[in-house]
Amino acid sequence: MSDIALDEQMTALPERAEAIRRGGAADTRFRMLTLAAAIIVVGIFAGVITSLTIGAMPAIKAFGWSFFTSDAWNPVTEKFGALASIYGTVVTSIIAMVIAVPVGIGIAIFLTEICPRPLRRPVGIAIELLAGIPSIIYGIWGLFVFAPWFQEHVQTWIVDSLVDVPYLGTIFGGPPYGIGTFTAALILSIMVLPFISAVTRDVFETIPPVFKEAAYGLGCTTWEVMWRVVLPFARTGVVGGAMLALGRALGETMAVTFVIGNAHHIQSSLFAPGTTISATIANEFTEAVGEIYLSSLIELGLILFFITFVVLAAAQLMLRALESRAGGAA
Amino acid sequence: MDANGAPTTSAEKIKVDIRDLSFYYGSFKGLKNVNVPLYDRKVTAFIGPSGCGKSTLLRILNRIYELYPNQRAEGEVMLDGENILSSKLDTNLLRSRVGMVFQKPTPFPMTIYDNIAFGIKLYERMPKSELDGRIEDALQRAALWTEVKDKLKNSGLSLSGGQQQRLCIARTVATRPEVILLDEPCSALDPISTAKIEELIDELSSDYTIVIVTHNMQQASRASDYTAFMYLGEMVEFGPTERIFTAPEKKQTEQYITGRFG
Amino acid sequence: MKNQARIARRKFTNRMFLALSVAAAAFGLVWLAFILGELFYNGFAALSPAIFTEMTPAPGSPGGLANAIFGSVVMSLVAVLGGTPLGILAGTYLAEYGRYGRLAFFIRFVNDILLSAPSIVIGLFVYEIIVFSPPDSSLLKVCRASLGDYCPVGHFSGVAGAVALMVIVIPVVVRTTENMLLLVPNGLREAAAALGAPRSNVIRIVTWRAARAGIVTGVLLAIARISGETAPLLFTALNNQFMSKNLAQPIASLPVVIFNYAMGPYEDLHALAWAGALIITAAVLTLSILARLLENKRS
Repeated sequence: MSDIALDEQMTALPERAEAIRRGGAADTRFRMLTLAAAIIVVGIFAGVITSLTIGAMPAIKAFGWSFFTSDAWNPVTEKFGALASIYGTVVTSIIAMVIAVPVGIGIAIFLTEICPRPLRRPVGIAIELLAGIPSIIYGIWGLFVFAPWFQEHVQTWIVDSLVDVPYLGTIFGGPPYGIGTFTAALILSIMVLPFISAVTRDVFETIPPVFKEAAYGLGCTTWEVMWRVVLPFARTGVVGGAMLALGRALGETMAVTFVIGNAHHIQSSLFAPGTTISATIANEFTEAVGEIYLSSLIELGLILFFITFVVLAAAQLMLRALESRAGGAA
Repeated sequence: MDANGAPTTSAEKIKVDIRDLSFYYGSFKGLKNVNVPLYDRKVTAFIGPSGCGKSTLLRILNRIYELYPNQRAEGEVMLDGENILSSKLDTNLLRSRVGMVFQKPTPFPMTIYDNIAFGIKLYERMPKSELDGRIEDALQRAALWTEVKDKLKNSGLSLSGGQQQRLCIARTVATRPEVILLDEPCSALDPISTAKIEELIDELSSDYTIVIVTHNMQQASRASDYTAFMYLGEMVEFGPTERIFTAPEKKQTEQYITGRFG
Repeated sequence: MKNQARIARRKFTNRMFLALSVAAAAFGLVWLAFILGELFYNGFAALSPAIFTEMTPAPGSPGGLANAIFGSVVMSLVAVLGGTPLGILAGTYLAEYGRYGRLAFFIRFVNDILLSAPSIVIGLFVYEIIVFSPPDSSLLKVCRASLGDYCPVGHFSGVAGAVALMVIVIPVVVRTTENMLLLVPNGLREAAAALGAPRSNVIRIVTWRAARAGIVTGVLLAIARISGETAPLLFTALNNQFMSKNLAQPIASLPVVIFNYAMGPYEDLHALAWAGALIITAAVLTLSILARLLENKRS
């Protein structure tokens, strides 16, 4: 019997070689197909930069560097500058991060250390849900519900109580409109909260439990373990997660457009209406007439893409370094 | 094979001849100038403490190591007189001749039937009735047919660990290889399943050249005709199993098989 | 004694910060309840059968959101049908062929940037390549000559909207496909390769199958993501007061209609915007729950 089997194999060999040759050709085709798809992804990225640069060319030629230093925005005289929009984008994002980073870390600590086990999953899902709600929902809620409520119950009170305090009186001064830069920033902070808490929580979970056990063994309190052992370990990850959230905040459009007031002025009060790059584009693009106007809006988009690119690239590199470290340890 | 006595070595035909084989993981030399013959239709066991290079050696024989970067082999591995390390050799053709069964059972996420048909269809086209016959034959050879003949359409993952491992053996047998490599095939199994697999190895050895890596010395002494003892990437001693276990020539071998280290 | 005072202080600090982290979680949950509560309250008040049967109205007249719902569904469908195969193939390249290479590292990096890039920039990009076209461009002439009324280039159109959404879907699918394929144990790949299977067979027959549930989850999440996207549609699909079944023409979508109605001064349109917001949220939540169920089934 064994000899028969061997004979079969011998005669089968050329046939096999043929089947394998066919398989090899199919293999190359499939590999090329996947590579082509992957290259298309790069093509999209390159296309975004190229098309926006071409579209922005008239404005770049007309205004040069002064586009970055001027806060003029006048469709009638066709004088455009990005300063007010960039200022609004940066300020709303910074305020959002100042609120969201500590709160997000707090939520991660709550979920990993304090929350009773049966509640962990539901609370975790609820926080994640904040990230799942489309931004237009934040926008419509912010405009119709939050802004009036904020105006009536919080803003008026803050303005009144700070009116005589130097600096703070200016930053939180002026008529309480409800909508404005600060309202937009606050809503942004709620939107990015889940990103920070999710990344932080993931990083917390990569830390080997022995480190925590060792610290507890020395008699550390929960807070001391978190602050002195866990957070230093998780630092890169938390910063990476915060950068990721910052990238989101910088580019967020709808939630901001609804509540920021679309005013092209840089004002000292955070309660005053302002604008951001994305809000300016969303509000004005379809109504923009004239090559320079349209081109200025596209240049704004290019600037936004550049800013978010830098922030997101930094976030990627930090998180990736962390990943390879975790992978190496495992 | 003669289970009681050592086979007479000189008359055997060599199926695979490993000559002066070295292996590198990056710059780390995992195998150092290994020489060992694998005799046709015999069972050869590689034994040694973990990290000694026995699995590495096995993974060279079908060039599966090539799936990963920075790993490279030097030397010669002659399969029927042809060097399988030659870059001209097609790895898929090689793997159709040298099958492998892994430590953990690896049923594919598909039905029992499709698990076996997968390998057959790679090389041959045939009518359904013939395919059915081939699949039954493979399952018979792996001593699994009676257990699964009524549930061929069930997922391969629904089987027990021991059954999954026999399914993997059937899958390998179905492609009609000449050599079968077994990488600690019983380490994840219970004693009863282990006994079945060992029985199976004994039966398969009448048709195939079999190489088994094991950390279990009883298994090596029960199931193999020849044994190679490896230590720190080197081939310490090779010979008929009975001699290795009763009269080892090297001190390290003796210490290992009597359980004094490893 | 001194030591005890110190311990008491440490305990106090501990309690204070733990209380703060409880407050942080409460902060998040309160906003969630506030948003969802108001959304359900206002949305259900405005919901009626007419929402699903009538067209979007002008201020002061009755109407619904039927054409906007239709437009959203059609554009999302086209985006997903186009983006999913491309995303799966690209993700497969990253996980299976390129895994350790420099090219894959670069593509992965670019994909992750696209994944988080501002969606309004994607809208501008598609505006530039499809909607905007110099009147004398040859592409436009060829398109007009061959497709007539069905030429989607040179003006706002449903095709442009769908392409914008597709550009958002692709990186999401690439990312999940890669992640899910990386979760497939190497043992399976080795076992298939050890039978002599060519790489493409290993991937298509074994690893894709093993990662199927995870990839489907990713696609569901991608649909959830685009169903609320507004910014990329504003200047690609634009809007349309009527039911348009021609994707070469401007087409209404729920998010854009909500945006226009909410930013206007009319109370009756505000109510419609709330109803639309409720529909979108319901769709997104349903998709997320489905995805989660699938994920649970997998693990």
